[in-house]
Amino acid sequence: MVPSGDSLSETLHGWQVTPPADRSFRQNVWRRIGKQAGVTWPTYLRANGAMVSLASIVMLTAAAYGGRALAHRQTRADRESIVVTYLVGIDPRVQAALRP
Amino acid sequence: MKFLLGTVAVIALLASGTGYVGYRLSCNPALHVAASKGDTMAWLRTDFHLSNEKFLEVCKLHDSYAGTCEEHCRMIQEATREREALLTAHADRAALDSANRKIQGLREVCEGSIATHVRRVAELMPPEDGRRYLTLVLPRIANFDHTAAPDLRLRHSN
Repeated sequence: MVPSGDSLSETLHGWQVTPPADRSFRQNVWRRIGKQAGVTWPTYLRANGAMVSLASIVMLTAAAYGGRALAHRQTRADRESIVVTYLVGIDPRVQAALRP
Repeated sequence: MKFLLGTVAVIALLASGTGYVGYRLSCNPALHVAASKGDTMAWLRTDFHLSNEKFLEVCKLHDSYAGTCEEHCRMIQEATREREALLTAHADRAALDSANRKIQGLREVCEGSIATHVRRVAELMPPEDGRRYLTLVLPRIANFDHTAAPDLRLRHSN
């Protein structure tokens, strides 16, 4: 049965669409543009900007922290070693045990 | 895929550079060189910020202490030899106890002498460095926990 003109108009008037937000909309647009134009590295970076930025921040922070921690550990080990050498040199109790 | 790998490679390269810079900014090259060479005087000079004048005074102190160290070393060795001779001769308990007390007494005198020496050295350092130096060495002297040196020199360095 075909609805009358008024009925269709009312149905369309009351019809509401609430589509879910597409989070990857921007990336998909860049991807489609890339496919058409031939993907370049800048295009790839723009399409994945958020992921690349996050990865860079995490990796660089971890590297800086790691380098600093390594240096501190090295300094502690060096100090430990030189203190022991120093005290061995000035402690007759050790020297008496070492010397023939 | 090649862009992903390229991006990962660039990030890894930047991270390596950042790690290296972080290491260089936080490390102590002078301390590392002194520790590698076992150069204790260079360590005192750099780690405790001694001026040339103060460093020369510390060197003089160490030189003058060397005689005391030598003498204490000799006395402890003699006392230890006496005790070993008593042990070999199966001497009585009282004689062994007496020999052990003598060694212990000498070790205590020696400990006091080292502590006095390092306090004099600390007085030549800037106050904060002097405190740090004493915090570093005094507990070890008292606990005598520096005998297992990883790079123990088998030569009297005084």
